[in-house]
Amino acid sequence: MRFGLWAAPLLGLSLVVVWPQAAVAQSEQNSCITCHQVLPDERLSAPAEQFPDDIHATKGFICIACHGGDATIVGPAAMDPAKGYIGSPQREQVPALCGRCHSNAQFMRRFNPALRVDQVTEFEASVHGQKLLSDGDPNVATCTSCHTVHSIKPASDPRSSVHPLRVPATCGRCHADEQRMARYNIPTDQLDLYQTSIHWETISEGGDLSAPTCNDCHGNHGAAPPGLAWVGNVCAQCHSMMAEFFNESRHSRVFALLGNPGCATCHRNHDIHPASDEMLGLGEGAVCVRCHTADDQGGQTAGAFRMAIDSLRTTTEETHSILLRAENSGMEVSQALFALNGAQDALVKARATIHSFDIEQVNAEVGLGLEIVTDVRSRGEQALSDLRLRRVWLAVSVVIIVALIVGLAMKIQEIERRA
Amino acid sequence: MIDETKPPDASRRGFLNWLLGTSVGGLLVVMGFPVGRYLIPPEASESATATVRLPFKPEEIRPNTAKIFKFGNRPGILVRTPAGELRAFSATCTHLACTVQYREELGHIWCACHNGHFDLNGQNIAGPPPRPLEAFVVNETADQIVVSKGA
Repeated sequence: MRFGLWAAPLLGLSLVVVWPQAAVAQSEQNSCITCHQVLPDERLSAPAEQFPDDIHATKGFICIACHGGDATIVGPAAMDPAKGYIGSPQREQVPALCGRCHSNAQFMRRFNPALRVDQVTEFEASVHGQKLLSDGDPNVATCTSCHTVHSIKPASDPRSSVHPLRVPATCGRCHADEQRMARYNIPTDQLDLYQTSIHWETISEGGDLSAPTCNDCHGNHGAAPPGLAWVGNVCAQCHSMMAEFFNESRHSRVFALLGNPGCATCHRNHDIHPASDEMLGLGEGAVCVRCHTADDQGGQTAGAFRMAIDSLRTTTEETHSILLRAENSGMEVSQALFALNGAQDALVKARATIHSFDIEQVNAEVGLGLEIVTDVRSRGEQALSDLRLRRVWLAVSVVIIVALIVGLAMKIQEIERRA
Repeated sequence: MIDETKPPDASRRGFLNWLLGTSVGGLLVVMGFPVGRYLIPPEASESATATVRLPFKPEEIRPNTAKIFKFGNRPGILVRTPAGELRAFSATCTHLACTVQYREELGHIWCACHNGHFDLNGQNIAGPPPRPLEAFVVNETADQIVVSKGA
């Protein structure tokens, strides 16, 4: 039985007035499960199998919390509209149905005081919500599209459809479906692209569930595409240092004028790969060449950025290699290796200051690093020089000892011959 | 029967020659092995320091301050909390391996490279660091502090 639009006011009234109060101490008797679990139609029996594991069931709610009716009666009389039975709500009625409890702070704090109660308000402001509630488009997502219908679990539960590891697949169920997305004229490659990104790698392989998945950038209940002007604010949730540099830079203003999407202009949006030094300058793999050439000032500055970073990186790597050679040969260079950490720090900071697009700031960081590297390198070369000296003296002493042994042996033979 | 043509000490001299020859060979081997190992050293892994005695005394570190110390080839950070407790962590940021520092005005550990924040338990609380800082065990006596890796 479908719940028609005509019944919406009745649904709202019954939920507000009756259900939140009744739901806490619901009857232990649940005729819905008793009957539905033996029905031959899988559409009717599956909910009875799934629901006992649902978060709502574990909190003591039974079917009537959402569907109404009287679970103490066995048989069709349990599904009497006069007893509040509403059947299966239509998609556009689901947010209001869930919101009867989930938008009620006083009610929700009895079960989970930390849970937000603005999901419905956010949903109404989202693209999904506007299309569903204002445009009457029944194909867009509603609460149950993401949370499932009868096996809802908290996002912290790895089995949940909204657990960070499963969010991309949940969103991708619709957004990677070309047929479903055709009418909205939006791309369907986001899931594939995202799954090549450093963010997905960090979550799926690194086990860091705080790394961003779809909802961290797009919002979850208020899902909307990030506006071009504020995508940087999304990235700045974690990458605040780079965002700060960028906001103060000339590129921030120019990108806004050109309509370029901030960070995503160079780093892309879904397929964000680890940033590399190759992205700088005008060579292969550089992103600066998308707007600059070797003839303009920006192109020359880009080349200077690359040169500065490369000089610090290569000298740091060479110095590290010198120190390792010395250490492997038994020389004491731990202080020098310790000091070299400062150059590595300067390199990381210099890479961050690239987002200021100010060569002086970058050179200042690189200069600090080069100062450390120069000092450490001389200590490493001194250690290798000492090592060479020790080897030479070792060789000399070995030759002398061997010559002495040979001489002794010959002398003994000579004495024997005389005898 | 004794052979009159053979010198009476020939077998003894042969034995002594053999003994001298093998001794010289043995000496060369004994000398050559360490020389060879010195000239062609084995690949050594990074120093795996497990314990360090810090080069400063407990009273030198005031509440709500910290000091960086050398733990093998990597930096460690010793923090005295505002409550006076000493805590030590690896000072290598778990994001891109910069050296972290203590911010007195924030009352917690901070990484200058990408604005990463760690609380006084070493937990990553803001910014891009993906993991907490490695915690060390601190043993404090009257005049020295010993920091070691946990079990």
